[in-house]
Amino acid sequence: MFLQTLVTGLSIGGIYALMAVGYSLVFSVLGFSNFAHGAVIMLGAYLGLALAVKLHLGIGLVLVGSIVGSGILAVMNERLAYSVLRRRKAPSLYLMISAMGCSVFLENLVYATIGSRFYAFPEFFSRQVVQFAGSSLSLLDLAAFIVAFLAILALHVFVTRTKTGIAIRAGVCDMTMCSLMGVNVDRLIMVVFLLAGAFAGVAGVFLGVKYLVYPTMGWVTNKAYIAAVIGGLGSLPGALVGGLILGVVETFVSTYVSSVMRDVFSFTLLIALLVWMPNGLFGSDTEEKV
Amino acid sequence: MPALVVENLHVHYGAIHAVRGVSFTVESGEIVSIVGSNGAGKSTIMWTLARVVPLTGGTILLEGAPLPDLPHLVVERGVALVPERRRLFSALSVRENLVMGAYNRKDPAGAARDMERCFTLFPILKQRLAQLAGTLSGGEQQMLAISRALMSSPRVLLLDEPSLGLAPMIVETLMETILKIRDEGMTVLLVEQNAAQALDISDRGYIMETGRIVKSGTGRELSDDPDIRRVYLGG
Repeated sequence: MFLQTLVTGLSIGGIYALMAVGYSLVFSVLGFSNFAHGAVIMLGAYLGLALAVKLHLGIGLVLVGSIVGSGILAVMNERLAYSVLRRRKAPSLYLMISAMGCSVFLENLVYATIGSRFYAFPEFFSRQVVQFAGSSLSLLDLAAFIVAFLAILALHVFVTRTKTGIAIRAGVCDMTMCSLMGVNVDRLIMVVFLLAGAFAGVAGVFLGVKYLVYPTMGWVTNKAYIAAVIGGLGSLPGALVGGLILGVVETFVSTYVSSVMRDVFSFTLLIALLVWMPNGLFGSDTEEKV
Repeated sequence: MPALVVENLHVHYGAIHAVRGVSFTVESGEIVSIVGSNGAGKSTIMWTLARVVPLTGGTILLEGAPLPDLPHLVVERGVALVPERRRLFSALSVRENLVMGAYNRKDPAGAARDMERCFTLFPILKQRLAQLAGTLSGGEQQMLAISRALMSSPRVLLLDEPSLGLAPMIVETLMETILKIRDEGMTVLLVEQNAAQALDISDRGYIMETGRIVKSGTGRELSDDPDIRRVYLGG
């Protein structure tokens, strides 16, 4: 029971982490909370669903399709809604409001076109279980955790080992200086949204497979946002650890205390953490020397 | 051909007229300094040359051609800025800061050579390669800031207040290094409040007051000028 709960928690946490990465990437580079991220995740789930149901693709190709589609969507989102504000050097609050507008717009677009029905993915592997140490673990849960972990590891390698990745981290420190190094800032921000969108695609498919696909499914990203804040908004290891902690704590509370108490616990955790560690677990506040 | 010709430059920050019709020339291979007190508009000129701050009037020619109007294109054309207060990527390692400096280069061998050259100028950086830039001492940060700019292999180096916050002895070493860099063929535009030391190493200088250039001459002429001695050099 314990192991099973732990694996379920880790899989939910992994999905939170995937979503939190998208928040963290955009927040760290542009300094605003991109609340349209949930809507991109939702559209990624619909896209994955369409690929699975209409084209009968397997989970691998569904993931690839959703990654590509959501990546392009996120880039379009930035180009249409944020880039103009960015170039006018608008305060980040305006960007956040624009993001909220995008989120409401996209959700209602789905209501108006696809409708409010709840859709289920075809059974990929949700019924399959693996026996391990006397517990039966769901293959879906294991896959969600492993894919989330590998995706975040790959992103970590990208931002520490490649030139573009180092430029993203440099832009996080100081975007103006980054442009003075010869970096085309517009292109760099496009890469950031492409990455955030790709992660949204993976998260959307796993959310859809684990639960259901519906227009407001992106609201669960509120949890991912909490995960990102717990880990330290803007930190990659923080997004992973924050997501996993939140997922595990929630699952244990639902299993051993009461599922009604679950959200009370997550929000209490958030508030307590913000009181004691306002920068989150991995948040940094390095000051430059004068 | 002059490396840099600035003609009748105007810059506004909203209603504030920060730079008011400034003209100056930097010949290739010269060290030219712009000296003046806080708020005279010196840094604004530097940010305008880097195309971070838009100009509201005037022209800037780089080696006879108009200066491109985006920061990353200015770097490509061979101009590198070491800004006031250094503005390092503090959460990145020393090595990553240097890698960023060479971001646009297509010759990895040349970049590697330039990194070695930076270690010759500032040997301490080689020992600090893996350290985060934000943890360096003030002097080391300035060395890294200059090295980061050199990594783009510029022909014109813009140095904004390199002596700010550094101990006098370190400033002296720094000025010697600037001379050394120039002797290797670099054109240097230096902005300083520390007038004595800046004019000391400069071929020519300009004195700036409230957005205007009020005096110009060779470094020696300016540091011998009684008015300038009284206002900027403390007697």
